[in-house]
Amino acid sequence: MSVAARFENVTVRFGGRPAVESTSFTIPAGMRTAMVGPNGGGKTTLARVLLGILRPDDGRVAFLDEQGRELPRPRIGYLPQRSTLSPQAPVTGLDLVGLSLAPGPGFGMSPEVEAEARRALGRAGLADDLATRPVGRLSGGQRQRVLLARAIAGTPAILLLDEPDTALDAEGMKTLRRLVAEEVAAGRTIVYVTHDSDAMGGADAVFRIDGRLAQETRA
Amino acid sequence: MTEFLAFPFFQRALLAGFVVAVVCGALSFFVVLRRLAFVGSGVSHAAFGGVALAALVGAPPGLGALLAALAVALATAKASGDGDLTEDTAVGVFTVAGMAIGVVAISFLETNVDLFGLMFGNILTVDPRDLLALVAASALVVLLLVLYFRPLLLASIDEDGAFAAGVNVARMRLLVLVLLALTVVVALKVVGILLVSALLVLPGAVARALFSRWPGFLLGSVSAALVMVLGGLLLSVALDVPSGAAIILTGTILFLGAVGAGRLRRNA
Repeated sequence: MSVAARFENVTVRFGGRPAVESTSFTIPAGMRTAMVGPNGGGKTTLARVLLGILRPDDGRVAFLDEQGRELPRPRIGYLPQRSTLSPQAPVTGLDLVGLSLAPGPGFGMSPEVEAEARRALGRAGLADDLATRPVGRLSGGQRQRVLLARAIAGTPAILLLDEPDTALDAEGMKTLRRLVAEEVAAGRTIVYVTHDSDAMGGADAVFRIDGRLAQETRA
Repeated sequence: MTEFLAFPFFQRALLAGFVVAVVCGALSFFVVLRRLAFVGSGVSHAAFGGVALAALVGAPPGLGALLAALAVALATAKASGDGDLTEDTAVGVFTVAGMAIGVVAISFLETNVDLFGLMFGNILTVDPRDLLALVAASALVVLLLVLYFRPLLLASIDEDGAFAAGVNVARMRLLVLVLLALTVVVALKVVGILLVSALLVLPGAVARALFSRWPGFLLGSVSAALVMVLGGLLLSVALDVPSGAAIILTGTILFLGAVGAGRLRRNA
């Protein structure tokens, strides 16, 4: 299911100072969208508004289906720039992806969830022995692959990648570009926050954010 | 040597110890994971104010403790959730306020309050009514922990990731604090206000030193709590020392042993 998101006059302030002000744009469904701009320009803030982690002071984000009908916030696969995952977390990559796939009330992991988690970890290039190792015993690059697996697991409606080129190594970026191409082919809506949209192999729409929408370019 | 096992008061103490150990051990997993040791200590101290106020108005002490602990837990969740204060600052403020209210309330009381019992508890005085309330409250805490284990675990190790997965992170933070308040009241009679926070920290700390995955960590925490409470209880009878202190000292020895064993294993 392709889902588009529409930012409507979104304003976010931190300590009274606006990080983004009255910003409106639409993320096209089933395409690659890049949010580019300088550091502190508000790209990550908008990404966190999209996720619902940040509530805008003014405006809102609406999610729409193909017919333009409004939907509740869909499942969004998220690869953060700086993860809040505790390095001492008592979980393996398999645990983490499984928990993220089925975070509802309950205990343990069903065989279906475990199979999907293993599939996602494999697609992200994490071998089985690494997937079942506690995350505290993985290298930084391997941990990023776990987070990448979590982002793509369970076919999310939107895949949101925040500055993936700063967190992943060269091999990880190669895997990510391959995965993005596969996800686009499957009709997924991809949003990436980046300094360089070409680093991700181009974008169908590029929004330059510098405190507000400064420029919009569509391929 | 074992004739005391035949006494009903000791059988009740063993059963109460078992229940408190299971509930504290299970919650200790989240206390250590979410670094809530100070919050646990704060909530238990706030319960002191509640007990004193309850004595002043002639209400059951357990009810006073529960209301005060819940009030501090909810106020902490609200203050830290709004982003105005961190959890430790919020609980620090509410804790001293709770203690001060307790001291003021006690100064108005015409009868003596068993402060020593309140501070250190006495598991050997648990009566059948206490035991029933203990089992009911503990069953509620364990049921909620089992029901919400997955979202609680995810929100405890990765807040942003949990949010992206659809977990209501604020609600999970509130749930942990409410469970903490309930558990403090549950354990109050057994180990008292000062030592209940240790029972919420030591089992998890013991298990954390030994296990790197959550199943071992969780089961280890419950097991450590059982050894602490039941071992400490037997020790207190055998050596004729206060039960609360014996329980905590048993836990401290376990913790030192676990840290040593964990280091040996890592260096092997």
